[in-house]
Parts: sequence; structure tokens; C-alpha cells
Amino acid sequence: MNLEDRDPMDELLCETLRQDVASAAGSLQALEERVLERLGDRLPRRGLWGSLRSMAAPTRSGRRAQLVFVGATAAACVALGLFLGGRLPSAQPAEPVLLGGAPAPARSASTPMMKSMTAQAAVGNGVLFILPAPNARVVSLVGSFSEWEPIPLSDDDRDGIWTAEMPLPPGRYEYAFIIDGRWFGQDPSADDYVKSFGEYSSVRYVGGGGDGA
Amino acid sequence: MYRTQDEVSLLRAALEGETAAWGEMVMRYKDAVFGLCLGFLRNRADAEDIAQDAFVRAYLNLRRYNLERKFSTWVFTIAANLCRNRLRYRRNHPVMEVDYEFEGGADPARMVAREEREVRVREALDGLPYAYRTPLVLRFYNDLSYKEIGDILAIPEGTVKTRIHRGKAMLKELLDKERESA
Repeated sequence: MNLEDRDPMDELLCETLRQDVASAAGSLQALEERVLERLGDRLPRRGLWGSLRSMAAPTRSGRRAQLVFVGATAAACVALGLFLGGRLPSAQPAEPVLLGGAPAPARSASTPMMKSMTAQAAVGNGVLFILPAPNARVVSLVGSFSEWEPIPLSDDDRDGIWTAEMPLPPGRYEYAFIIDGRWFGQDPSADDYVKSFGEYSSVRYVGGGGDGA
Repeated sequence: MYRTQDEVSLLRAALEGETAAWGEMVMRYKDAVFGLCLGFLRNRADAEDIAQDAFVRAYLNLRRYNLERKFSTWVFTIAANLCRNRLRYRRNHPVMEVDYEFEGGADPARMVAREEREVRVREALDGLPYAYRTPLVLRFYNDLSYKEIGDILAIPEGTVKTRIHRGKAMLKELLDKERESA
């Protein structure tokens, strides 16, 4: 920012903000040590590509990973074959499978059953958030796109399916549903989940954008 | 050893597991990240916590960082996302705010006048909604362009300009009101 563009208000603002940070210099002094202490021996996480490459690497751990991968794939193929052939005694209807491997949402008498799939589908320029909550009275959506201010979901035909459409530019968004005042942060169809301060939030990537937060 | 190295070399070393190289990156960016967090949260303890979390998360996700992208924008985005989470948490779990304690300077006469003005600005900043406060901090403390601010806050560049303009107008209004009532 050019200095000549600044008015006295800008200068005062700059000075105040600098002073705020300068006054914390003492406690920030050891920040890097605290960060390194927390990291310990941890290394940057491998992405999917990195994991696949490590499997291909001719190392002991690579070979072990190859064996695990081949074994798991073979077991999955056998199970699928048996299932399709009708040999598995699977008369019970299956529980919905939660995507992303996140822990299942806690259910209680007052929590609506998430019997069918929840989904967010891309609709034109917007993203449709859908939540089946037949017993809910009020459902809203909060997220990074609304600065965590609630956006009401509607269920005009009273079929228990609550929806809201959000026009979202490409990016990474964290969100959760609030069902009758209760936080529901594990949307089964989310792309990812984050847990912060003891609560889960769902993560949605629109247009493939995203950052590591 | 790492003091004289450029950022790309430090990041490559950190990716290889040399955490001391990451320590040097933290040292270089801690003030900027803390300033951003303080702008969001207006609470020093929370800002320190989140700055620390941001550097831990950034390191663990370092393989997702594109070396062609500006490092500051990337780490600021992580910090901004964490700050938004903390604000959301605060909404659900209100806590007592801790007042700032500012250390004194060298020249008492000049310091008094300057501090008075700064205290007024600080209070006015506290009174601004964070949607307006944060772009002001990123612009005037972190010295970022409208485009970078838009990328970090996931809002269009035009919205950044509007929020900075309105934020300044709101600040002036708050300061004028205070002056009149004094």
C-alpha cells in the first residue's frame, strides 16, 4: 500500500495495530519453540499421491503397505462377489454408510434420525444443502460462508426434508447444521470433517478449491 | 544456520522433516499471523493460541502447499479459518473477555497523547463487527492487497473494498461519537 494513499485515519489505524502486536512481543518470543514442541517428531502428512508413491517404493514399509493394500482389495472383491451372488445372509437393511470415515453422529431420542442420505448438490451457481430431519421444528445452516451466522433451511411441503441453496464461489467451506438449537456437525455427505474445540464441523469443497485449515 | 536461507529452501527443508527450518519460518511470520488473529479475535490469549495452532496445522499440511503461491497468503488463510472457528465457538460458549495490558514507552508526554488516541481506536475497533474489522487489519497491519484479502477471507475483491471503506467510515463515526460524549 502506497504511503501517499494513506490518510491520518489510516496512519492511526496502522500505528494502533502495530502497537497491539508489539506489546505482545514478550509472550510471542517463544512461539516457535512451543510450535516445535507440539510437532515433536511428526512429519508433514502425506497426501494420497504420496501414500501411493510410498507403496511403490522398494522399502520394507513400502512392501508392507503393498501387502496390506493387495490383501484388503482381495478381501473386498471376495465379499462383493459373495454379496452379489446372494450368498451373504444380509436380510437386515444396512445402516447408511457415512462418507469420509468420520465417527457416526450421536443419536438420542431428541436427535432426528438421519435415515436417508443427506446431500449437498451443485445447483447452477449455488450449492444445495439438504438435510432429512422429520422431527425437527427449526433447522438452520451455519458456516464459514455466512461467518457462522445461521441461515434458515426450509421445509415448505413438510416432508421432513430441509433445504437451503447457497451461491458459493469455488473454495473450501466449513459448516454445520443447527437442529432445534443443537449442533449437528457431521453431515454424512461432507467431503471432510474437522474437529475443533470439541465439536465437529463438516467441510465442503466447491470447485475443487481449498486450504489446509 | 537457517537465518540466511530463503523461504523456498526453508520450506523444502521442513518438508524433509527438518523442524528447525520450520521454526525459522514461524519466527519470520509469527508477528504477522498473531496480528491477523488479534484483529479477528481482539483477545490476546486466544490470538496466541490460534497463531500457534495455525503454524502446527500449516506444517502438517505442508505437502498441500503450492510453492508457487505466496506463503504468507496460505498461512494467513489457515489462521483466518481457525479464527472463524474460534469465533463460532465463542458464540456458543461465551467467556469473559480479558482486557489488554499495554506496556509503556520511553517519552511519557508523547506516550500519553498517543496512547489516548490508540486506546480510542482500539475501543472503536472492538466495537466493529468482525466482517469489517478483519479486512481493515489485513490491509493496515498485514499490508495486503485487496485481492490477497479476498483470497484469505473467501470474499470477492469488490466486497473487500466495500468493507474497508465502510469499516473506516464506521470507525470514524464511533470515534466522533466518543469525542462528543467526552
